Amino acid sequence: MEAVTVDSSVVIELKKAVKDYGGNKRIGPANLTIRKGEIVGFLGPNGSGKTTCIRLILGLIRASSGTVKVNGFDPIANHVEALRHVAYSPELPNIQTFLSPRELLNLISHELFFPDNADRKSEIDHVIELVGLHDYANTKVGKLSKGMVQRLSVAQALVGSPETLILDEPMIGLDPAGVVHFRDVFRDFATHGKGTVFMSSHIMSEVESLCTSVAMIHHGRILFQGSVEEVVEKVLDYSLVELETSPLTPQTLQQLKEISGVNQVNMADSGKRDSVAIEITICERDHDIRPEIADIVVKSGAKLYTIKQGENMLEKAYIEALKETNGGKP
Amino acid sequence: MKRAEVVFTFARYEIKRAIARKKVLALVAFTILLSVLPYYALSQAGTTLIPTDVYPYLWVFAILLVGPLFLNFTAILIAAGSMSEEYEQGTAELLLSKPVRRSDYIAGKFLGGYVLFLFILALTLILSISSAFTFFGFQDDLSLIPGLFIAQAFSSLLFFSLAFMLGELIRRSSLAYIFSSAVFFSSYIISVFLSAIFRATGKVVYRTVQIYLPTSAASSLPIQYALPRLPPIVSTALTFINTSTSRPTISLSIEILLLYTIASVTIAVAYFLHADISRKLS
Repeated sequence: MEAVTVDSSVVIELKKAVKDYGGNKRIGPANLTIRKGEIVGFLGPNGSGKTTCIRLILGLIRASSGTVKVNGFDPIANHVEALRHVAYSPELPNIQTFLSPRELLNLISHELFFPDNADRKSEIDHVIELVGLHDYANTKVGKLSKGMVQRLSVAQALVGSPETLILDEPMIGLDPAGVVHFRDVFRDFATHGKGTVFMSSHIMSEVESLCTSVAMIHHGRILFQGSVEEVVEKVLDYSLVELETSPLTPQTLQQLKEISGVNQVNMADSGKRDSVAIEITICERDHDIRPEIADIVVKSGAKLYTIKQGENMLEKAYIEALKETNGGKP
Repeated sequence: MKRAEVVFTFARYEIKRAIARKKVLALVAFTILLSVLPYYALSQAGTTLIPTDVYPYLWVFAILLVGPLFLNFTAILIAAGSMSEEYEQGTAELLLSKPVRRSDYIAGKFLGGYVLFLFILALTLILSISSAFTFFGFQDDLSLIPGLFIAQAFSSLLFFSLAFMLGELIRRSSLAYIFSSAVFFSSYIISVFLSAIFRATGKVVYRTVQIYLPTSAASSLPIQYALPRLPPIVSTALTFINTSTSRPTISLSIEILLLYTIASVTIAVAYFLHADISRKLS
């Protein structure tokens, strides 16, 4: 019953956790540490073991070997203590279709033994409002759209003011406005509520914009964990500069290639009339060469529409990492 | 106190789930059919079929005749899907990812399902008495109702627990229904055969095996409780159910019922506490 984690800032800890499903299916050994206040993106291809790790953390399945601790407790042996302030929103939730959102939240608030009816009602009203379900609060789940069910999945996780949110693909099925809204909800939960968020996702841009750190899993093993910048640096030995210009002459392209640190210059159609997209690969990370690039382009007489550091670097790092572990295949 | 509240929450949830799945509606329809139709048919068959002295006790026939089959089978229909349907639909995962004890969840599910069964049992009794009164006039010895209710409720606990256990172990509702029903009907049929062999050969071993079959105890207690308390003419009228198979003594019936029930519940709970929570079956 006693919490054994020495570092009280650690909320979730997997140490050499293995789940053996029999046959050839085995996840782990996985090592993962999530600290209080972090927003951690959990990345990995389909079947890599993300959901298994989440189910281990939630005490829904038992580790075949290794240890799993949540708030210092074993989530199987001390399920209540481990998950007292932890909430989970499943991917494509299988929610009881005969209940309405209000009835489901009521059931869950009973599970969490809210002290009295007034508190329960006000908490449920607050959560329904927060996820934008007020117009559907009394509609049976079976009649809700996929996006609304996803909102309900997050709503049921928010009931009871948890300190840690575990979200399995929380943005699936949401419309763009919903994605933006939920991003704000999770960010607010982490910053103002000082909560911890651990979310699995396939949407790299989403993870890059929301998460303070990421963990990548492949074949059941955590490849690495750290801040987005650390992970990108660790995997990619280059950075990118992207620009949009009017078409450049071969001489200008050659001049760009001759800048110190430049590895490669690629020109492609930008999809717009009278402009091209240029991607410049740079091997020296610390040296910002954008002023030099801009100078060459402008002096060549071409029009420079945009110039920026490469985006979606996490996605590139992710694909690169998968290639490395798969022997060159993404 | 808090844990009891959580158990009751899951029990209420289980009842609501069964109602939503139209299971209750179907069972109520069958209960009405089986508790009204036989009395109506008897009343139309003419007075020679049943001695008029038995009329005041006809209410008990529904429980003693219908109970062993319909009520035990109803217990199976309610219990076999209680756990397995939640795995199939993937809904168990959401509830068990909360900080609740698995033991509270399974206790609530068992309790909710059993309360539902008690409701069907009560409905059977009420409708039987009403039908007997409507078609055959004044009904006597109604003081037996509480004892008969308890005897039948306790008897049906055996197949309720057995089906609940199979639902948890198999985790597929259709298979759980089939296995539970197979145990039930096989036990019935084997029981009749063993009894016949015992009567023909006099070998006690056949009788002993038959007595320990689950259907023997599950169908005996209400009869053992009611018949000695009713006039002999009722026993005579019910001779065919009183002599078709050998019956354990009341104390042995209780012991056998407890044995099967405790074993089934223990296995179901132990398995549930230690096994992984299955994901939705595709």
